[in-house]
Amino acid sequence: MSLQSALQQLASFRANNSRESQETFAKGLVVLKAGKTVNLGEEGWAFLEQLALAAIDVGRIDIADQCLKQLSDKFDDSPRVDVLRGIRMEATQSPSIVLSFYDELLRISPSNAAIWKRRISVLRRLGKLEKAVEDLNEYLDTFYTDVEGWLELADIHASCNQYTYALQALSHALLLTPQNPFTFLQFAETAYSAGDMPLALKMFLVVIDMNESEDEDAIPLGISVRAWWGTKLCTRQLVASSATHNSQSNTSVPKNIKLVDELATERVLTAYSGEQGIQTRNLVSKWMSRR
Amino acid sequence: MLGRAFLLLATIGIFHAAYSTYEHLSYLKALERPEGPIPQEIILETLFSLFLGILGACLNTPDFKEITWSSEMRKHKIDEMDSRLGFASYVNRGKQILSNPYSKKSQ
Repeated sequence: MSLQSALQQLASFRANNSRESQETFAKGLVVLKAGKTVNLGEEGWAFLEQLALAAIDVGRIDIADQCLKQLSDKFDDSPRVDVLRGIRMEATQSPSIVLSFYDELLRISPSNAAIWKRRISVLRRLGKLEKAVEDLNEYLDTFYTDVEGWLELADIHASCNQYTYALQALSHALLLTPQNPFTFLQFAETAYSAGDMPLALKMFLVVIDMNESEDEDAIPLGISVRAWWGTKLCTRQLVASSATHNSQSNTSVPKNIKLVDELATERVLTAYSGEQGIQTRNLVSKWMSRR
Repeated sequence: MLGRAFLLLATIGIFHAAYSTYEHLSYLKALERPEGPIPQEIILETLFSLFLGILGACLNTPDFKEITWSSEMRKHKIDEMDSRLGFASYVNRGKQILSNPYSKKSQ
């Protein structure tokens, strides 16, 4: 595996925010051993940060220390390096020491958003969810446009089954990124878990609408499959109990719900029509015809 | 392919017309005649090369790129969109599972 392709792969991981720590570590180690990080220029420092985080994730603290040393030699007083030092401490020291370290950093420079986030992450890991949620709300009051923060808040609430609060947090995230179908999908699935079928159905259809390709009879791919599955689950329940269903958000049930149900069935079955899908297709049609 | 061929022909035509003009003018200078009009053929060759060059440049454009949000979002996966790296916990079982299996480990 050449140096060039490894660097390209690492750059794509950075751009996509993917957390593939094992692959990043393997490829990054190749680059580090080649010793050319000094020649990479601006990208070299971002690469060192990425490799340090991947190394801590995989458990190789020695490599992380090497990267951290190079970074702190060059950028001594930088907030990003402070965050890295904090994460390195999180991996080895006890949580109370780490929390006091973060509090000290926040006292010196209270506008370091990344340190706030690390502190909330430590609190969540310790299980102090109430404090974490309180701090996260305070953080989001200050830094409203941080989509990550809203998604994390929704995740914490959903893990405690507080779906109303989770939906509220997700609606803020939707305001901030209205072009992102993944957030809509998360909203729809949270609404489904909360039991609000009409709202979930509406949101699943929004996802499908967003992901529309030109060819209408094409096989659904990617998150369309997930969205069609969601639609099928919702319409199944609504057809079975349509008149008596009350939605917490006062969303109305669509009039031609049976037609939507048929469409969703057809679309889901089409999604399993490739050569790999044929085996699963039997299972799927059996499940569909059970009710 | 066709566009590039046209562009090549047009470039050759322009250079040839320029060289012919230079030759013609130096021929007139050698015979000490006053500078008259450039011959019709050279002008025709220049105009024809211009036309061919425009045609070649138009045909030689690269393919269109997608600019809609939906085409951009189709390239992403859920794990990338929901990764929340700022809040990620780095204290997990990675240390026990992924580090060197032959190193000294507590049982």
